[in-house]
Formats: sequence, C-alpha cells, structure tokens
Amino acid sequence: MTTFSRRSLLAGSAALGATLGLNLSTLPALAEDGSMTLRLPLIRASGNLDPQRYVGIFAVQDMVFDPLVHYGPGGQIEPGLAETWEVAPDDTGITFHLRPGVTFTDGEVWDATSMVWNLERWLPKEDYRWMQIANNYKDIEVIDPMTVALHFTKPTPTALTELSYVRPVRFLSPKAVDAEGIYSAPVGTGPWMVEKDGPAGTDLVPNPGYWGTRPAIDRVSLVVIPDGLSRISSIMSGEIDAAGGKFIAPVSPQDATTLKANGVTVVTETGTDTMILGFNPRNDLFRDAHMREAFNLLIDREGIARVVMKGYAKATMNLYPEVIAHAGTRFDVPARDVERAKALLEEAGWIGEGTRSKDGKPLNVELVISEDAVPGSRALGEVLQAGFLEAGIGLKLRNVDHAARHGDIPQFKYDLSLFVTNGAPYDPYNTIGLMFLSTIAPGTDGKIYEDTALDPLILAALAASEADRPAAFQAVFDWLHANWAIAPLFHGDRIWAHGDRIKSFAIPATEYEMPLKSLSL
Amino acid sequence: MKWFNAPIRIVGWPTLLLVLSFAFVAIFGSVVSPYDPAAQNLMQAMQPFSPEHWLGTDNLGRDTLSRLIAGAQTTLIGVTSILLLAGTVGMILGTLAGYFGGWLDEIVMRLCDFGFSVPSLFVALAIVGVFGPSYGNMILALAIAWVPIYARLTRGVVAAAASQPYIESLRVLGASPARIIFRHLIPVALGQVLVYASADAGLLALAIANLSFLGLGVQPPQAEWGQMLVSAMPYIQEAPRLVILPGLALTILVVGFNLLGERIALAKNPRPMARRKLSLRRAIFKQEMSA
Repeated sequence: MTTFSRRSLLAGSAALGATLGLNLSTLPALAEDGSMTLRLPLIRASGNLDPQRYVGIFAVQDMVFDPLVHYGPGGQIEPGLAETWEVAPDDTGITFHLRPGVTFTDGEVWDATSMVWNLERWLPKEDYRWMQIANNYKDIEVIDPMTVALHFTKPTPTALTELSYVRPVRFLSPKAVDAEGIYSAPVGTGPWMVEKDGPAGTDLVPNPGYWGTRPAIDRVSLVVIPDGLSRISSIMSGEIDAAGGKFIAPVSPQDATTLKANGVTVVTETGTDTMILGFNPRNDLFRDAHMREAFNLLIDREGIARVVMKGYAKATMNLYPEVIAHAGTRFDVPARDVERAKALLEEAGWIGEGTRSKDGKPLNVELVISEDAVPGSRALGEVLQAGFLEAGIGLKLRNVDHAARHGDIPQFKYDLSLFVTNGAPYDPYNTIGLMFLSTIAPGTDGKIYEDTALDPLILAALAASEADRPAAFQAVFDWLHANWAIAPLFHGDRIWAHGDRIKSFAIPATEYEMPLKSLSL
Repeated sequence: MKWFNAPIRIVGWPTLLLVLSFAFVAIFGSVVSPYDPAAQNLMQAMQPFSPEHWLGTDNLGRDTLSRLIAGAQTTLIGVTSILLLAGTVGMILGTLAGYFGGWLDEIVMRLCDFGFSVPSLFVALAIVGVFGPSYGNMILALAIAWVPIYARLTRGVVAAAASQPYIESLRVLGASPARIIFRHLIPVALGQVLVYASADAGLLALAIANLSFLGLGVQPPQAEWGQMLVSAMPYIQEAPRLVILPGLALTILVVGFNLLGERIALAKNPRPMARRKLSLRRAIFKQEMSA
C-alpha cells in the first residue's frame, strides 16, 4: 500500500506551489522574450480596439491605427496617411493628398475608397458632434483615388488637430468588419500589429510593410498590472522596462520619488493639462464673485505643488500650461491670503465664529473627490479642507468612484469638484468648447464653468483665423481670470520611469501614445 | 481591593492593562494628544521620529501620534455605539421572540436567518452605499448588520430560561410578562450578551477599519486607523511607519478584545480543581472513609 510521509507531502506541496506560482505569474510572455522585446505595463487590458469606440486603451490603438496627420511635439501637425494637404483660406475645407503605396496589414490598399469608408462610419453621426469637424461636417469629395477633400459648413480651424486624435478618427481596414459592418479585428496601417491579446496583456510585433521608419524593437509585450505599487516593484525588479503615461500605466509623484530613491531613471516633462477646482456654476453660492475669489485666495497652490505633488507640478492661475498653443499670458499665482478671504466672505454676508453662516444657514460645501477619476484627489481634498476651515468654511469630502462621478458631475450634483483639462492633442479647443460653453450639453466630464457672457468669447476663439486666434483665446482667459470663474491649481508634470535596459528614451507628444519612436534597448 | 482583584483574576492583568490603556486613550485622548490631529503643516510633511513629533508626521504634515490617539477614540466610540445599538435592539427582539414564541418568534428568527445568510460586512456595505459614507451611517450600518447575532443569542438564552420551573411559578403567581422579562429574563441574557460582546468588539474594530479603508466609513478630517492605512499606502516604501503604526495599533486592540472575550468566557466555565486542593479533598475523603 502506498503511504504518504510528511516529507513527501511537504515536497508535493512545494512543487504544487511552485507550479501554481509560475502559472499565475503576470508575466508569462517574458520567459520567451528576446533581448529586443520591450516590456511595458498597462493599467488594464487593451479591450476592444475598434477606433470608432471609446473602449480600448488609447496608446494601443495609436500603435495599430494611423491618423491622416500626427500631433507632433509642441502641437506641430506632421504628415501621416496624408502626405500633404491644403487648407481652404476661410477654413471651410481641407484637401488631403494621400500617401501612396500604403496597405493595411491584411493587404487592403489605403486610398480614397478606404478613407471615405472609414470617415462615413462616424463623421456624419450625432454621437461624434463633440468634435468641430463632425459638428460642422458638410460632405466628402473624392477628387481622385489619392486625393480627398473634406468640406465644412463653417470655418473649422480645429480640423487638422482633431484629425490627429486617436479616436474616433483613426483608420481601420474595410475588411476588418463583419457582414453587418461591425468591427472584428484590429487591422490598421500603423507601425505595430497585434499578435496576441487577452485579459492578461497584449503582444505586438512590427508591421513589416509599415510605410514609415520600422520600429527598432522586435516585440512589445504589454502586461496588465493594475496596481500602482506592483508596477513600482516590477520596474525595480526589472520585470518591466518602463512605466508612465496617464492612460497607460501612471506613475504618481510619490511613485516617482520612490523610484528615484531606488536608482530608477525618472523622466519628466511639463504636463499639457491643468488641475482645476471648479465651482458649480448653477449653485447660487458661487454666482457671487466674492465667494469665488475668497475660495481662490484660501488655496495654498505652492504648498500643494511642493508637498502633495512632491514638486512634480507647477502652481498656476492659468487654464492651460504654456506648452499648449495659444495658452495666453501667465497670470500671477496669488499668495494664500486668509484675511482678505475672510473680508470677502463677510462682504458676501457670511459671518460668525467657527463655521460662518448667512440667514441662519451654515457655510458648508461639498467637494467631490474620486481617486479613480482624479488620482491624488483625496490628499488634495484634505489640504483644501484644512485651508477653507481656517476661514470658517466647512468642506465635506464626498468620495465617489469613476462611474458615480460621471453620473453626478454632468448633472451638477456637487458644490465643488476637481477637474482636469483635456491636454494635448485636444487643447486649446476641446476644454473651452466642451467644458465651458453653456450652449453644449455637459458631457461625462461636466462643466468646469459656464456663463452666457463667456459663450461669445469662446465661440469667437473657436472660429478665429490663425492670425486672430491668440487674441481671441486671451480674451477668454482674461474673462475667466477677472471673474475668478475657476480656481486653477497646478500643471502636473508628465512622468515616465525606465530601467537600465532602455538606452534612449523621450516622452511622447501626448499622454495617448507610447514612447516608442525614440526608444532603443 | 477586592473589587480590583476580581477583574484581574478573571481576565488577567496583561489583558486588562491593554484594554484599559485603549479606554484611557479614548476617554482622555483630547487631553493627552500632543497636537490637533487634523492640523496640517505642509512644511513639516513626512518628518521621521523626533522629539517634536514622537512618531513623525504624515504626508500632509499631521502628527502621527495625535492621529493614532484620535483613531483610538474614533474606533472605541464606534465599537461601543455599535454594541450598544445592536445589543439593545437584538436583546429586545430576541427576548420577545424567546418569551412569546409563536409567529413573533418565526418572524424574528427568519429575519435573523436572512441576516446570517449574508455576511455582516456586505450588509453594512450595502447600507452605507444607499445612505452615503459617513461615521454616523457606518455605525448605523454595522449596528443593523450585527443585530441578528444578538437577537439569536438572546432568544436562545431566554427560550431556555422561560421553560425553567421558577419562571412557570412566577407566571402562576400572576407576575406580568413585563416583570418576568425585565426582572428575570433580561438579566440572564445580559450576562451572555456581554460575554459575547467583549469578544465581538475586536471584530467590530476591524469592520470599522475595513469600511474606512474602503472610503465608506470615517471621512476626513476625522482620524481613523483604517483611513490612515489607506492614505499611507502610496508611501509604504518611503515611510513604512505610516502603514505599520496604525496596523499595529489595530492589531493590538483586536488581540486585546479577543483575549478579554476569551478570558471572560473561560471564567464562566467550571474549572478543574487545583492539584493542591484536589490532594486536600482526597485526604479528607480518605480520613472519612477510614473513620
């Protein structure tokens, strides 16, 4: 009869544990990697990569699908699937000369037919009206097999920038859909092809027929590591080569501090977005400019940038950082002035010791925070809470998840909320258009502020010709500043960290793409 | 000193010292706390142990020791409130069900079955989800989740006691149900409930920390250990003490409550006779036999 000794039981358990450990490893693909495989983390699985759906990871879509034009460093528009283009003098149309000799990775040819097929999937549809090119869309004119003109109903100076976005504007092979026209496979003209995709990660290999410079890396293994601390451990242990990008695998200022202390290279660049404390424009409390000014003066912006953001941010009073086109002149960041704020509150009728009150109603406001939607908002909320309390304002923090925030904010169910501008490539147009214009229904990110007096200024800026654009945008910024309409806090740095395997590294132009163009191992 | 010796004999001085220390901190926390636990000083953020800040400061420059003391207050007030609420409601329901029986017993026990079929923390999560996260709602949610435990416990004790001859005699002598319940049954059940509650307090302290860790319990600026833990997680590499200290405080409190509950429960059980006493008894027995 076979008997199990304690030793054999222990040995068996150890073997089983080791086997399970190997199988459950988050990095199974790495065992088979060569030296030229780049290993990067993803915050979640790539998901459905249909370029016309807002589901997949932007950066993976960007690797597979090309745009007509690229958003380059500093907002420079560079050729993509369109080799050259001519913009109509009145900005009501653009004629694109398509790049010859380009094919999708399934062999389908890139030409006017495939371009029109793609544009017709979304451009005329209601769902995409948040973009000026869709809102002002008139028609598409095929001039010849390699020349296509887009016509708009009114001047659309934002068109080229919008055509560089990742979604919904990227181009899918017309063959990569089923009989009903529904997306079936990630087939594009981009530098990379999806080799393997699943909940644990995505493997991509270079497109052998890519029209541009062929990637210098043999393979990119994207591994899903949702937890920030695990990503830090993985990069320190060398399991992954780099991490960063707000929508790829974010590295927080605290993570960057830890990584730097452990000898990992941290690369930063001035961010393209702005963290803003927004006042609910439909709340009577904040219709009074005294209140908005008082709240603005109670914020220790420099302290927040230095301590909460660990120095990886720049305090600001501007809507956009300087790296965004037409960001306007820099406003002085006001020093925290509790006495002036108290005087303003008293002018507004809020008086008393402890928590102030007016007509028997205490001055208690609620700040919506969401670590899911705005990482770091909890600590930020606590700093604001302590700052406001000093002037007799009670601030309650309401912590919600991403979905709840997207439900409450568009319905104006808040007093104060933290907002982040859209950054490159969307700005300067997107944030003022969608998050300030009162004539447009609030999207999932809500309105940072709205006022009918501000609308004409925004509309003028969005339609201004290139020569008039700086002044038109400046008029919007001046109005916001003069009316204390918003409380900009800081421009957060863009942070990437990488290990020793990476020899050259440069942060990409936007948070929506991988740093692959200048990367070498 | 007899009044003092009895509890020491029952629970042992280390356990008593542990629990009393936390009770002292909870009662006199505001007096012994070196700083305002909510006061921020961004210039002093992440300070290590020092004479000014014995346990250092957190990411927003708040004194860690003061926040641990305030956290003890929050936890112990929460635990006491939940036990009082759940114990009172549970005892009332359990006593009525156990004494009157019939349909009332059926309804209360089926509700308890429902309560037991879902983990208490899930019930609390659902209630906080509906009413919104706050300290008060968390206490209410945990009290509701814990009521079935005390209702069932009380019902068992009361049902057993109600069938005793002395209760039958009281009925025959014309004692009213209220008199029987308040004078004779509740005191019997109370002993059992208190024993259970002393062991349950540790579990409740963990539940409070769990909910606050998830952002569904205590809200800033009020200090609480679970909340301190979650706020400190990003800094675990830079300043592990920020995670270790509240974790340690919570562990010690839970161990203290568990030891207290266990010792009280053991004290109620018949204990084997000590060897010396047993020898003495045997000697007396032998003498009697030989006589």
